[in-house]
Amino acid sequence: MAKKYEKQNPAFYVLIAILVFMSIGPVLLMLVNSFKLDVDILSGTSGLLFLPTIQNYETALCDVLWYEPEHLDFCQLKFGGAFVNSLIIALVSTALTLVIGCMAAYALVRFRFMGRDTVSLTTLMVRMVPPAVLLVPVFGLWNNEFCLDKNGLIGGLIRDTLGGRGDVCLAGTHSGIILVYVAMNLPFVIWILQSFIVQVPRSLEEAARVDGAGPFQVFFKIVLPLIKPGLAAAAIFTFRIAWNEYLLASALSDRDTKTVPILIVNNMSEFNVEWGVIMATGMLLAIPPIIFTLFASRQIITGMTAGAVKG
Amino acid sequence: MHTLLKSTAVGLTAAAVTAGAALAGPYDAHKGTTLVVNFPAHPHYDAVMKILPEFTKETGIEVEVDQLPYLKMRERQTLELAQDEGDYDLIAYVVFSKADYVYADQLENLAKYFMNPKLANPAYDSADLIDGYVYNIGFAGGDRGYLSGATGSLFGMPYGSETSVLGYRKDIFEKHGLEVPQNYDELLALACQIPELEPGMGGLASRAASGHHAAHAFLLHLNPLGGAIFDESWEPVVNNAAGVKAAEALKTIVDCGAEGSVNFGFGEALGSFLNGDTAMFLDTTIVAGQVDNPDKSKVVGNVGWALHPMGTKRASQTGGFGIGIPANAENKDAAFLLMQWLTSKEGDKLVAMAGGNPSRFSTHADADVNAKFPHMATFGEALQYADPDWRPIIPVWGKINADLGTTLSKVLTEDLDIQEALDGVAARARTVMDEAGYYTWNE
Amino acid sequence: MSRALANRFTPYMFMAPAVVIMAMALIYPLGYMIWGSFRAWNPSQSIGEAEFVGLKNYVTLWKDPNFHESLGVTLKFAFFVVSFEMIIGVGLALLLDRNIRGMSVLRTMFILPMMIAPVVVGLMWRYMYHPTVGTFNRLLNDWGLPKIDWLGQHALNSIIIADIWQWTPFIFILSLAALQSLPSSALEAAKIDGATSWQQIIHIKIPLMMPVLIVTCLLRLIDAFKVLEVILVMTQGGPGLSTEILALRISRTATEFRELGVAAAMSNYLLLLLLALTVGMFLFTRLQEVRAARIRAAIDEDL
Repeated sequence: MAKKYEKQNPAFYVLIAILVFMSIGPVLLMLVNSFKLDVDILSGTSGLLFLPTIQNYETALCDVLWYEPEHLDFCQLKFGGAFVNSLIIALVSTALTLVIGCMAAYALVRFRFMGRDTVSLTTLMVRMVPPAVLLVPVFGLWNNEFCLDKNGLIGGLIRDTLGGRGDVCLAGTHSGIILVYVAMNLPFVIWILQSFIVQVPRSLEEAARVDGAGPFQVFFKIVLPLIKPGLAAAAIFTFRIAWNEYLLASALSDRDTKTVPILIVNNMSEFNVEWGVIMATGMLLAIPPIIFTLFASRQIITGMTAGAVKG
Repeated sequence: MHTLLKSTAVGLTAAAVTAGAALAGPYDAHKGTTLVVNFPAHPHYDAVMKILPEFTKETGIEVEVDQLPYLKMRERQTLELAQDEGDYDLIAYVVFSKADYVYADQLENLAKYFMNPKLANPAYDSADLIDGYVYNIGFAGGDRGYLSGATGSLFGMPYGSETSVLGYRKDIFEKHGLEVPQNYDELLALACQIPELEPGMGGLASRAASGHHAAHAFLLHLNPLGGAIFDESWEPVVNNAAGVKAAEALKTIVDCGAEGSVNFGFGEALGSFLNGDTAMFLDTTIVAGQVDNPDKSKVVGNVGWALHPMGTKRASQTGGFGIGIPANAENKDAAFLLMQWLTSKEGDKLVAMAGGNPSRFSTHADADVNAKFPHMATFGEALQYADPDWRPIIPVWGKINADLGTTLSKVLTEDLDIQEALDGVAARARTVMDEAGYYTWNE
Repeated sequence: MSRALANRFTPYMFMAPAVVIMAMALIYPLGYMIWGSFRAWNPSQSIGEAEFVGLKNYVTLWKDPNFHESLGVTLKFAFFVVSFEMIIGVGLALLLDRNIRGMSVLRTMFILPMMIAPVVVGLMWRYMYHPTVGTFNRLLNDWGLPKIDWLGQHALNSIIIADIWQWTPFIFILSLAALQSLPSSALEAAKIDGATSWQQIIHIKIPLMMPVLIVTCLLRLIDAFKVLEVILVMTQGGPGLSTEILALRISRTATEFRELGVAAAMSNYLLLLLLALTVGMFLFTRLQEVRAARIRAAIDEDL
């Protein structure tokens, strides 16, 4: 169907303008404020006439800067380290979730096996669980039960190579957080990928099998390339959740594995609300999602609509 | 000849080594250790961060600091202290955590460190430490469990301790010919008079946000007005006439305060004062450092200080932080050396000059400190009236505090009847105390 | 022979990693939590060490006025948020379902609120709602209107607004996609029959979109109970308990009050509530699907 661009009522365009303003407004506000000094923000010189400064970003990034910013007495925020932690956790959990998720989705769609419906149903039900509910047991388990005794074989080995004290528990390690994120995201990813795999024609798979390909080969060589859009969408969503998540990360991380959202919340201290620095760290956290939005919006929308809208 | 040379050389070396060993400083054994410490994000500890490089220079011990907002710090600590082997060598604890940690055996008793001649500094001068703070923050096991007494012992040192003081805008007071309030009646009258004299300006900036903040603000008024949370036998009396009067005082203050004051945490209340939106500020002494900082304050040079107003008596707050050594720490001796250095005469003066809260009488009287911070003299005077029994530091206080704070916030926002609200708090507190066993000896 | 064997095990091999991970990090913790809700459990103990107290935690909560208030806040929040977002989102989709240039650019910009971290969303709105320096109050001041105490008296409304800002795009995009996949034949037929656009909407578009709308509504409802970080950053549950939704109360009970048993019992109440809502919506969906099928059949007959 040819796309005809119809002329619209001017009121329509006004509405669109308002909507765009409301969507992006707060983000722009944060961006602008991150370049202002605290004094300017608090005194209310609104508007665009102000002297932009990168002081806030200097304060935030002080541990990765190669020079000492003069306005800072000591480097308090360890943003560079947190950024690296966030990146590691988000990337690894995305990769793992995708691999494991699409294998599981494939199995649920294509094979009939014992327990299939149970798994399918569980996957759906588990989606209902709020992270706060998961927090309680994970907090207890990661700290006390899922531990390797530091005097045991593996535990001792880990302590010898990586240092640290006490029993080797999942809490406070990257793997602990990654494990929870993967588990949390699997239901959603499986659900999205299922609707994509369903659209791959069986005939292609049959043909490959007739040619002598084993099931793994069929999966990797035929199915995977065809569901790339779905994989992209799933990747973006998983990354977004892992990157933005605060609650579980704050319960399960210690000094070395802090992620950026934890840093931001910790920075909102009582005694000294430094709006400029807070806005700067907020912007820094928001950069990857903004980049995704600008360059991959189509995939995001595909991901959202998959499974919800049939056909 | 050869043998003579050799033996002389050996002899000299031996002498040098022994001499060296004899002259070994107290810090040599710990040179190169890295201590991991847990501090709150608080102006006093920001000042401490500035002087830590001095410590490293003098002793060769590195210090790695984990700074967190203080309520989060408390949560982190409760987890860390319960482990078999903890990450932290030295922690700063909020004063009311003293009860929890000591009760659960999670802090080191400092006696053996002060008994160790290699660690204890003979020039420490413990009489110079402000005793109200020492007993409130570091001492445990005395009378009623948390006050001074012959049965107690020291588990931490006060550091970053504060009392309450009244800050006021000299220029506004001069402009309208107002007198600095000496007692609560004058204070409350002024609090509501100022918004009428200066439209748009609040009277007294106070914390009021739900939870800990509202409770703290309430306690500030409770003791001077003659009230208390518990009586001698641990029965809650917070709902007696004095308690109601204190709650009414808080409500008056918040009602006549600046816009949005019903939701103020400490930061916002201070911000309101520093921004010039409120004429008076009644809270901890730590704010003094920020008032004269042009980066943060618009009222530089216009602020005067006075004592916490009198109710039926003078009783200002004792609170703040203390530092202690966790029982599961790795480098306890080195941590003790750090603790001692920070609270020594020199360390205390350094931190005061950097904007922190001194813990010694001598620092308050020191000429250099007073030259830089002229309000120190008033603060020194205020310390005389610091009430060590300002708040019951018992293990179940956290729960009662949270309940008190939430209820008071409802009084402030939903106009709950004060007597009813306090009666509710008293009843619930009684249940908590009963469960914890405080009435075991009453039967 | 080995091929057949391998084939039989294939599905299990594909499923295995997912099952293992979900079992370890989702199912086991959930079971642990249900078991733990019957105990007086402290964060430094493993469950074995915690004392068994039977239904005490549940009973305590049942009688606790704070729990009731929190539950009320949660239900109110979820109801208002989902209703407003559905109405606004679907309404916007209906309005904007036209062919205009740059629609994809617009969609990109509309997605932005959803992608920003909840923590950051909380930050932005907290700034905007600030009583003295916040954008809203400053604007009101400039226009000579009295300032509003956003995060004080109207805290719940303020966070509802913030959530609407963040999630209406979700509903909007999904509804738009649904609209654009409607069979144009039905709409043409209606137009020929002289139906006004209003009638078109009510009798054709919405019923046909219903399946999607129901799924979207359900998704949004489930997610509304998960909202936590935004509220944490903006009001921390205050003033009083007026914005303390259950998820926040659970996390506070666990980390601040350190009573994991009570938190676990609260979690179970929440899960039961969610289950009831899900099943309810499910039945509702069935009804709507039957109805939509009937309409489609009727349309097909007419054509």
